[in-house]
Parts: sequence; structure tokens; C-alpha cells
Amino acid sequence: MGNLMKTEWYKLRKDRSFWVLTLFLIAFAVLYPLDQMRLFEGVSNLPSGNDFYRGYVLSINDQIVRLFPAILAGFFIASEYSMGTMKNIASSGNSRIRIYFAKLTVFSIGSIIILLILPILMTGASAIYSGFNIMPEWTFFFQTIGLITLYAAAFASIMALFSVIFTDSGKAIAFLLLFFGLIGSLLEFLSAKVSFLEPIITHSIFMSHESILTIDQIGHWNGDDVLTFIVVPILTFLVFGILGSFIFRKKEIK
Amino acid sequence: MNEYVLRTNNLSKKYHNKMALNKVNLSIKKGSIYGLIGQNGAGKSTLIRLITGLAYPTTGTIELFGKSNERELVEVRKRIGTIIEGPALYPHMTASENLEVHRLLKGIPGKECIEKTLALVGLQDTGKKKVKNFSLGMKQRLGLAIALLGDPEFLILDEPINGLDPMGVVEIRGLLKKLNQEYGITILISSHILSELHLLATHYGIIHNGELLEQLSAKELNEKCQQYLHIKVDNPNKAATVIERHFATQDFEVMPDGSIKLFAYVDLPGEVSKALTNEGLVIEQFMPMGEDLETYFTNRIGGVQHG
Repeated sequence: MGNLMKTEWYKLRKDRSFWVLTLFLIAFAVLYPLDQMRLFEGVSNLPSGNDFYRGYVLSINDQIVRLFPAILAGFFIASEYSMGTMKNIASSGNSRIRIYFAKLTVFSIGSIIILLILPILMTGASAIYSGFNIMPEWTFFFQTIGLITLYAAAFASIMALFSVIFTDSGKAIAFLLLFFGLIGSLLEFLSAKVSFLEPIITHSIFMSHESILTIDQIGHWNGDDVLTFIVVPILTFLVFGILGSFIFRKKEIK
Repeated sequence: MNEYVLRTNNLSKKYHNKMALNKVNLSIKKGSIYGLIGQNGAGKSTLIRLITGLAYPTTGTIELFGKSNERELVEVRKRIGTIIEGPALYPHMTASENLEVHRLLKGIPGKECIEKTLALVGLQDTGKKKVKNFSLGMKQRLGLAIALLGDPEFLILDEPINGLDPMGVVEIRGLLKKLNQEYGITILISSHILSELHLLATHYGIIHNGELLEQLSAKELNEKCQQYLHIKVDNPNKAATVIERHFATQDFEVMPDGSIKLFAYVDLPGEVSKALTNEGLVIEQFMPMGEDLETYFTNRIGGVQHG
């Protein structure tokens, strides 16, 4: 497993899509707060730390950046099939399950890195620009960082599964963007129509990820909160990981 | 010690309703160069994909290095180097980086093996050039370098000389012979360039429509393909004496039907016929005969296939 992890990590470091996404987000994280502060200059007071973090950093991250790992999935996972390199990996004398989990683990790490750039760098940049006037509360900040990490891994396991099914980067990216772009609305519609599905859908990562923005409003976490925000993402990662590894194990590689 | 590196037992693979491989019993001895001959779609790649674990057999078993259990098969595949249906490379990486991926994958300590392997296939000067800018021949060499990384005991090469220039073909042929003779590496090589296989292989397997029609050694094939002069005269005994006396050779055979197969002087048919007629023999039939690998293969699969 160690060799496989090292190999995947090396490939992630050499993956151009990963670097393009990372550098784009770093540039955005550094430049966007500057632009926003210019807009507020002389018009009104700067928003509070939590409002800025919630209204800009987290909402952009949740609405747009959440989809970026789909691009990485296409190039980092599905393209291994179209380039034929998966043949070398699969015939290398490693079990398919180990191969899949090494790939999934490193892809999840890549997704987490992508999804943490704005919360960390944009927050840092805006804090510096404002003379540390718009800092979010530390508890809120670390809660969101932890949850973004968990959710990024959970979404990554779903993306990895579909990438293995599609085995073509273009098809995988198109499907994943469409799927993750529409699944929320579809599930909302479904939960309104089929009442017994409503609790399952509400607790799914597709619906609960939006609540990360307001996670500080939960004063004292009860069992249901822990289940929704901690247990469900972990379970999602494991279930889709096991399902993906099963599909990959049975798959004939062309 | 197991004499065979690979053995398959009634190995079959069915895709939908088509039998891609049908009860193949193939065996490759340690230290041999096994040439797998077959047309496109004959089942060569399917067979290789089953051996390397990319596909699963419908029925039958595979025994690699004496192991046939699925878990053990995965493990012994570490001792194999492969090129399957062309070299599989990362186009945005350099040759060294491509090898680094496989060095890490195989858990080979130290990076010295990368330069050594690149030099072995003549790619030591490619520097920072990305693989996407390589010629097909360079890609083939890099594919071979990847297969050679980690000193495999068994090389499985699917069309490894495709796209190589004539000099490249000679170099790779020399390299494969060296690997086989000096390092004892067993090689399974599939190619449609039969003349090339003929210069390399010690054993052959002919595959057609998913069936392994025949396995034979190079010696057996050479015997079958040997060139000779087919001579039929009115007095075969006298002709035999004439040949023995005039050409000082016993490299001929008198066949039950009275015809003679003369394996020597094949390139001097005029001399032979002159000697026979000078001795008053009446020549009824006189022609050079025998097959090359291509003809033998074509005849074995039942004539030229049009598709």
C-alpha cells in the first residue's frame, strides 16, 4: 500500500489540472478580497469577520469550488484509462482493492487541498488587507475547516466511483459537473414528493453541506447534528469507497 | 523447480456471445522466447490481458511461476514486465518521470535504476523532453524501459517493435536477445511481423480465432520450413548415387514415392539438374520447395484470410 500511495502522491504532484486549479484558487484568494474591499471603501463599513467569511469565502467555496474536484477526478482518475496507464498499474502485482483505495485516498487529499485554499488563504489575505479587522471566530473557523475536509473526502469518494465507471476524462467531468450541479435540486424535489425519503435526503451530504455556512448557529451539538455532519460524511466515504473498489475489482481494463 | 514460467489450462474467454479464446493450453518454458503469432483479432491480446490480470477468464486456469491461486497470481505478477497493446505512458511527464512512477510502484529503492534502464533502451539523452513530444519509436523504447524496470523474470511484450525504424528494430532485437541469453529472462512476444519473430523466437504458438492451433520449437519449425530441391527422376537410386558422388553430400532424402528431397545446393538448381541429365537421368519434376514462417503460418490457419 505504501508504494501505491507514494506513486499516487507523485502523480498528483505532477498533475497539471491539480496545479492549474490550485494556482487559480490561490490567485483568486489573494486578489478577490482586495477587489471587495475597494468596493466598500468610502461607502460603508467593512462586513464583520464572520459575515465576510460566511458570505464570501464559504459561499463561493460551497457553490462553485465544490465542483472543482470533478475536473481533478477526470484528469487524475479517468484519464488513467484513456492513456492506458491503468493497465500498467493493474498488472503491477498489487491487489485491485489496494490500487483503488490508494487512488481514492490521494484524490481525496487533492480535493481537500483544493477546497481548503479559499477558507485558509482568502481568510488570511482579507485579514491582512483589513489589518486583522475581519477575522472570523476561531471556533467557527476550525469547525468549518474540519467539516470541509470531511465533506471533500465524502464527495471525492462519489467522484472516484463515477470516474472508474466512465473511464474517460471528458465524460467523467461532464457527468460529475452535471450530477453535483443538479443533485441538490433533484433530491429536494424528491423529498417533497416522497415523504418517507425526506429524513434520509435531509441527512445526506448533498443537502447538509449547505449548513456548513451556518454551523456556528448550532450552540450545543446533539446526537442528530453529530450524525448529520460527522457520521454521514464518514459513512458516505466508506460506502462509496467500498462500492468503487468492488466495481474496480470486477472491471476488465481495456 | 518449476520448468515452466507460464501454463494455461483450457483457458477460455467469452465476450457476449463470442468466444475470444477457446480452451487454450499454452506453456512457456523458463528461458525461452515465445513468439505468439496470430492475425488481428485472433485472441493474442485477450490472452495477454488474461495472463496479466487485466481481464478474467470465463473458464480455465492460469499458472504463473507455478502459482494458480488468484491471490498468489497477483503477487507473482510483480515478477513480470509488460507492454500491453502499445506503451502506456504519461504524456505530460519526461521519460525519467515516467520511470519514477513505476519505480515507486514497484518499490525499487534508489533512483540509479532509472538512468541505467534509460541507457539500456537508448533514451538517456531525452532530458526534459515531455513524452508527448516523443516519436512512436521513442515511446516504444520507453514502454520497454518501463517493462524492464525492476529486473523482471518474465517479459510480456505485445507488438514491441511497432513504429520502430529499421535500426531501432535491430537494437531492440539485440537487447531482447541479450536479456534472454545473459540474464535468462523469459519472453513472450506477440507480433505480426513474422520475419522479426523468426529472428528472435525459440518457440512459437500459432493462435487463430481464439484457438491455439499449434505450439512448436524453432527447431521443429525450421525443419518444417526447410528449403529443398524436389527432384523426381526415372531412376531415384541412380540419382541418389549421382548426387552423393558428384556433390559429395548425403544431405538428401529419398521419399517413399521415389522423389528426392535435396536439402543442399538449393541455391544451385542448374548445377544439380545438369549433373543428373549428364548421367542420362530423365527429370520428371524439379523444383525448389519449402516454406518460410509466413507461408507456414498462412497454410496453418487455412490460407489467406480476406477481411
